[in-house]
Amino acid sequence: MPRTIESSIAAHERLVTKLESDSRLSDEDREAVRQLPFTVKDLPRGVDIVRDGDRPAECCLVVSGLVCRYKLLLGGKRQILSFHLAGEIPDLQSLFLKRMDHSLAAITPVRAAFIPHAALRALVGSRPSVAAILWRETLIDAAIFREWIVGLGRRTAMQRVAHLLCELAVRFRAVGLAGDHHYTLPVTQSELGDAVGISNIHVSRVLRDLRDAGLVLVSGGTVTTLNWDGLVELSEFDPDYLHLTRPEP
Amino acid sequence: MTIELKPVKIDTGSPDEEGRLAFAGDRLVAVLVLLSDEHAEAGKWFLEAGFGKLNVRPEPVFRDLAEASRWIEAQLKRALF
Repeated sequence: MPRTIESSIAAHERLVTKLESDSRLSDEDREAVRQLPFTVKDLPRGVDIVRDGDRPAECCLVVSGLVCRYKLLLGGKRQILSFHLAGEIPDLQSLFLKRMDHSLAAITPVRAAFIPHAALRALVGSRPSVAAILWRETLIDAAIFREWIVGLGRRTAMQRVAHLLCELAVRFRAVGLAGDHHYTLPVTQSELGDAVGISNIHVSRVLRDLRDAGLVLVSGGTVTTLNWDGLVELSEFDPDYLHLTRPEP
Repeated sequence: MTIELKPVKIDTGSPDEEGRLAFAGDRLVAVLVLLSDEHAEAGKWFLEAGFGKLNVRPEPVFRDLAEASRWIEAQLKRALF
């Protein structure tokens, strides 16, 4: 089987798995998702996938790797708005909001599947349950943003970092990409700082404090949880906002 | 306006403790700290705290105290917007 077809099938299965993680798809829905035309691309670390102001004609499904949404300020300051894992479509909003109001970049090498808007629009038009699932995804997106706003506005630097590490642990675990006590997080201190709104220097102090407190070790692109309950307590992390519960059978 | 730097020990909750209080005349405008070996930028000076126009995010890192003083002077001369 040619590699491109193989990677396209893998991408479709990634999407089907994601859509079924909290809802049920009928056979017809699943087949319709599998019929979506995908263009699979491998992107190097650091590349912009779509930029603030762009008018994209396709959405990007993360097949593997880590993607962030961000906003650039005058003087090159950057605020990372969210992280996105395999199975997610971080620019789903571009289906209905024509002009991007932020950018999307590959934090690690990323395999992405691009889905033309026309095909996605036809899918949500003909398969209401798929449309409902995608709508739900954008609502969860908003719930995560709300939690980040609380953090940026009211949590200490240490709580913000701890909270983000808890969130990512739970999200990586939900897609089978985290062990019981560790997961791979190949982000730089600068990227962590840009996500939680603190300087590099504070990130490095906070990571040392978290390690010295026996809570979590962040080193060499790996996060190792030493005391999960302590980390949760410190950051007041409550995973409800991720809405990861499985549907009623 | 000349910036005067007075040595001070700072409890940052980290090994970064050698500091300078930066005065513009008789006004305290900023606190600088020398970055310890635990940072990639060890040996440089960090704006630990900035007041008024020096309250910026993210806080800058300076090669040395001369660069920090120049930045403070320039920042004080800037209009707020």
